[in-house]
Amino acid sequence: MSNLLCSNPLIQFKMKIIPAQFPAKKSTMKPASISSRLQNSQTPSNQQLNLSVLRFTLGIPGLDESYLPRWIGYGFASLLILNHFVGSDSATTTPAQLRTEAIGLSLAAFSVLIPYLGKFLKGASATDKATIPEGTEQIFVMSQNILDTKKEDLAWATYILLRNTNTIAVLISVQGALCARGYWNIPEEASRKNLLEWFERQIERIGLKNLKDTLYFPQNSDSVLWELLPKGTRSLLVQPVLQVPKPGANQMEGIEGFVLLASSMGYAYGDRDKAWIGALANKFGDLAKIREVSGNLDCIW
Amino acid sequence: MEVGSLHFHCRPIPWSPELRRRTKPTLRRFLFFFRASSSSSNSRADYKGPKPRRDWVADLVSNNDDAVRSLPIYVGGASLLAVLLNRTVSGIAPVADASSSQSRADLLALGLAVTNILTGLVWLSIRPKPISVVSPEGVECQRIYSHLPDSVSSELLWVWESLSDVTCCRTLIVVYDSHCILQIGFAAKSSIGDGEPVAVDAVKLMQGSLYQNVIKSGAQSYLANLSLYPGKSELPFLPSNTQAVILQPLGEKGVAIIGGDTIRGFTTSDQAWITLIGEKLDATIAKHVKDLTLSAQE
Repeated sequence: MSNLLCSNPLIQFKMKIIPAQFPAKKSTMKPASISSRLQNSQTPSNQQLNLSVLRFTLGIPGLDESYLPRWIGYGFASLLILNHFVGSDSATTTPAQLRTEAIGLSLAAFSVLIPYLGKFLKGASATDKATIPEGTEQIFVMSQNILDTKKEDLAWATYILLRNTNTIAVLISVQGALCARGYWNIPEEASRKNLLEWFERQIERIGLKNLKDTLYFPQNSDSVLWELLPKGTRSLLVQPVLQVPKPGANQMEGIEGFVLLASSMGYAYGDRDKAWIGALANKFGDLAKIREVSGNLDCIW
Repeated sequence: MEVGSLHFHCRPIPWSPELRRRTKPTLRRFLFFFRASSSSSNSRADYKGPKPRRDWVADLVSNNDDAVRSLPIYVGGASLLAVLLNRTVSGIAPVADASSSQSRADLLALGLAVTNILTGLVWLSIRPKPISVVSPEGVECQRIYSHLPDSVSSELLWVWESLSDVTCCRTLIVVYDSHCILQIGFAAKSSIGDGEPVAVDAVKLMQGSLYQNVIKSGAQSYLANLSLYPGKSELPFLPSNTQAVILQPLGEKGVAIIGGDTIRGFTTSDQAWITLIGEKLDATIAKHVKDLTLSAQE
């Protein structure tokens, strides 16, 4: 079936630009409305569609077939146990039956594990949607004493992160400027004015400003990782913004700040997402690297 | 046309990827660190939080993708044989009725085995087709319009660095207001002359149908397999074996042409990012460069 897809060179995508306020409903955060002849008519049009692969589905909307082995595993295992105790009295249980039941139960355990393994295969698409946890409120705060261009950059960066990744809350701190946007748990005592100071205090407490490596917690258990994060955060990605020293200069890599992304679904950031987030973080990094590239620009007109 | 200063000091620049990789902040390194415990890093750091654990299951599965895909088939098949063997060895007649509890247990185990085999088959059938990268034929080129303010040029260069690092982009051309303000990456070698990169004729491009359609619809256009598209002749400056092209309109006055080296190499996530980056670029250029022609004549 993938041959059909090869023969279609022109795929026109119409992007519906949703006006600047991300959807507060518990639905997909992906904005693209994909209209294409190749669209599988059974999937809703606002899901992210991986056109290189076709999936066999039962056709029931909302049912995730990749979890079917897990349910079958649980169901058949319980039936096996029921059969063992109720089907016949224990005196007449033969070794053959015990062997069969052992095989059956281990198969059931493996079936239960299958969706978990399938998540890490190439081409596995995230079918969970990021949901808004309860008790959070939507905020957008930014430091005031910075240049207007910086403010625009921060506003745009937070917007693009919330739109294009499975993020519910983003915090950018770079070169003394702070911007927080999304759904956060704000404690009662922090009013709108002190919100920035509250963020600063939390950041100081954790020591995020001196972070040098990317942190990624893909599957957070229910324990609260940091007080700063909204409750219900399952994935966390902290990307430091580094200042690249000029080659030949004898200085350490400086740390300009960090970009913190929280999501309510596990394994929210794939490799491609992390690469894009790293590229976005470079925008706030020192322009030493950009200056070097522009120094190589030979042909100017 | 007397636009700007026509200094053609062009020569193909030897592209040194090692240099580039040394100076950019090693995004690849971050991708490997994200799950590893980073104990060696922060000698002077005050970071007091927890370090992420190594997720060995995920690493194992992603590294042995093919083997894991066929694993359920083997497990299911082996269990099927084991159940049948068990039945024959124990001397029970191979009758598929549910009258005895042994038969019922056998049937349930068979059902599970069949589920596993089917899952394995589904996983094998949905394996993404590996598509090979086609190196672009052409010369390296780094041209930028000379009369741009610093903020605009640094933004353009940031866009190029991001696209070439993250996606399969190998060529980036930005045309705005009837001028080509950026041509970077690979370009087609011109047949006349001494093999210089082909220049972008912005006016001719803007009269072509590709540009007109993109500006009229205001939406991104993704040509996933450029060789099958007849409009390729309107993009002579791209390397002849460019595989995929994205045309991103920048407002109503410009377009960004992004050439990639893999068929269908740009994912939907890439397209979404490129759309939003295009909007930002349009805003930046429009704000800082009121009229390119006027500024060139200063």
